[in-house]
Amino acid sequence: MKLCISSSGKDIGARVDTAFGRAPYFLIIDTETMEAEVVENAAAASGHGAGIGAAQIVSDKGAEAVLSGFVGPNAFSALKASDIRIFEGISANDTVQEAVTGFKKGDYREVTAPSTGPGRGGGRGRGGGRGRRGF
Amino acid sequence: MTGDLQSEVIRAFHRKDFTTPVVGITGGKGGVGKTTVAVNIACALADRGVRTALVDADVDGPNGAILLSVELANPAAVDITVPQIDAERCNGCGDCVRACRLHALFQPRGKYPQLIGECNGCEACIQVCEAHAISRGRKQVGMTYLSRIDGLSLYTGALIPGFEESSVVVQAVRERAFADAEQFDLILVDTSPGAHCNVINALRGADSVLAVTEPTPFGLHDLELILNLLELLELGGSVVLNRADLPGDRKKIKTVARQHSREMIWEIGMDDLLARSYAAGVPVVREYPQAPSSKVFQQLAENIAATYGI
Repeated sequence: MKLCISSSGKDIGARVDTAFGRAPYFLIIDTETMEAEVVENAAAASGHGAGIGAAQIVSDKGAEAVLSGFVGPNAFSALKASDIRIFEGISANDTVQEAVTGFKKGDYREVTAPSTGPGRGGGRGRGGGRGRRGF
Repeated sequence: MTGDLQSEVIRAFHRKDFTTPVVGITGGKGGVGKTTVAVNIACALADRGVRTALVDADVDGPNGAILLSVELANPAAVDITVPQIDAERCNGCGDCVRACRLHALFQPRGKYPQLIGECNGCEACIQVCEAHAISRGRKQVGMTYLSRIDGLSLYTGALIPGFEESSVVVQAVRERAFADAEQFDLILVDTSPGAHCNVINALRGADSVLAVTEPTPFGLHDLELILNLLELLELGGSVVLNRADLPGDRKKIKTVARQHSREMIWEIGMDDLLARSYAAGVPVVREYPQAPSSKVFQQLAENIAATYGI
């Protein structure tokens, strides 16, 4: 499976980034071969619509699933429109490598409706969504 | 930008196709009495027989109608464009998605684009679509109203709460009044507080501007902001110092006004009758024409009328 993980750095040793839309990089990893491709998230700095822009990048790269800490409601709709499966719950302390290992073990839950906020499961999440996050 | 070019741009920005003078009423800080000043000058002018339009361009919280105790009437919807994509015509090139600065459009792999995020109606997607697959759908973002009361026409803009397109509504209400300009001797435009694009949009086409403030550190600070903006927009005019006898620093206000070459400062003192009429939703110039504040408003109205030969 081609799995996209939101990442703070360019290789699988880097820590994950728990916010999907605002993550600086995506690592697209073939979970069978562990071959990884890095993609810069050009949408991360957008004033508006970072989540949808990020989903476009991920969709264009042919990812089949996304693993992040929190996927905002717009990004959720976009990824679903591309039939990309969404998994949430990675922790900010994990490296991308550890996240893939956990993913293969089935540690992360698949989300079928937009979450109401980041952080469940220990992720810190900056939340790219539109103010649904509490204080 | 060189001075000449900037002047040319500003002149083009203010260009209008009618001769009715337009006076803006603004001030930077909120709660200084912009709408009170606007309503009272409008009534004082109307009472002199001047055919006056008052535009309430504070679309996030329009309350000119409340101060005049008039019902909002003659509603008209303010719409923006949202893209409607024709799947039959779409060639899937993705140009529209890349043109969308708000990332509102999304194109799933192998499918045609769809609108997912917030669209502000800029129409860039329509411009770039070579297949002509995008047509103009409409989304309502606000309303304009036209109410008439005792020789005065009040144009009100109201944004639907929660929408981002307030400056579209500002433009719509100003343009509705401008379209009727031939019916009037003078158009007054009451802006929102601040020195941002809604204020700029409201002051477009103004011939001069009254900047209302109060003698507090906040009033002083925001007066400087708005006077800087007015200079940028090449708009002259005067300062109205409301609550002039508050224990603040009038001197500093006067210094700032002079530094920004404002023509004069109109002072309105704390006036019990003004406060009373404000609370009752009746302009003081009509309820208590002898009140000290009414005298200032009448003088201001006379001055405006004389300036424009009305």
